[in-house]
Amino acid sequence: MSRFYLHQQIANGIIEDPDGTEAVDLTAAKHEAILAARQLLANAILSGVAPLGIAFQIADETGQVLLEVPFRDALPPHFINTD
Amino acid sequence: MPHPTQSFVRNCLLSVIDAAGYAAIGPHLEPVDLPKGTVLIEAGMPFTHAHFFNSGIGSIVVSTPDSQRVEAGIFGREGLSGFGSLLGVDQCPQTTMVQVEGEGYRVSIEALRSACQQSDSLRETLLRYVHVFISQTSYTSLSNVSQSVEGRLARWLLMCHDRVTGDDIALTHEFLSIMLAVQRPSVTTALHMIEGYGFIKARRSNITIVDRDALVDFADGMYGTPEAEYRRLIGPFA
Repeated sequence: MSRFYLHQQIANGIIEDPDGTEAVDLTAAKHEAILAARQLLANAILSGVAPLGIAFQIADETGQVLLEVPFRDALPPHFINTD
Repeated sequence: MPHPTQSFVRNCLLSVIDAAGYAAIGPHLEPVDLPKGTVLIEAGMPFTHAHFFNSGIGSIVVSTPDSQRVEAGIFGREGLSGFGSLLGVDQCPQTTMVQVEGEGYRVSIEALRSACQQSDSLRETLLRYVHVFISQTSYTSLSNVSQSVEGRLARWLLMCHDRVTGDDIALTHEFLSIMLAVQRPSVTTALHMIEGYGFIKARRSNITIVDRDALVDFADGMYGTPEAEYRRLIGPFA
């Protein structure tokens, strides 16, 4: 298990993940990020407001960003305009 | 063994019972520290002790088979753990643990039951507390289906603020995610938003309440009814 931090990129900065989360590998951390993005998008839609977040930056304990997961990756494929 | 006098105890239930009620239970109270993470009641295990908190916060949680936890309710110095024993049952499906460290008294279930038989004041006060706790869980259900994550967070922060001394609450995002039954990033985002409104200051593992009145308004009626029931039926708390 390793500790991964899901920092959230928003329009005017970053919401830092202070505690991080244990995951077996980066793939598992990405799965967590997708689930979290789904919930954040769903909460915003239910409240009738624009979602704050744009993407998760998955970082390791040294602060290095390993992967960026855009929130749009959490949407059903046919919701995304790929033009 | 010396035991605490009634004027010394800070647990609100033990403070409001009459002198005869306190005489029935007081000699059975053993002072205990309540470190964070201590499991007081294990789901599906026989009750052994009830804990009257003087400080700290206890949390009653239920889990899915794959260990996703959701908090059913909280209590502090206004309550006690193991109140199912007052209803004549020997165990329960929820787990009770310490989420914010504190101290209090423990009493064996046999001694608690026997004291309740001796004193109407004690028994009636504790049963009224069970009613208030059910009111709290009812409002939690209402809040979970009707409020945004930020509104639910505001309500829970107020409930914790009631149970700590001062304006700082030692809560991790992990605990808040269990309290609110959401993933951690939803907690982090909701804290960011409420901090942006100026209601709180959020630091790692610590939240400072800056504007309580604004939080009450923001909680939009979901906070306050169980607390009013407690004051109406039992007495002052927090």
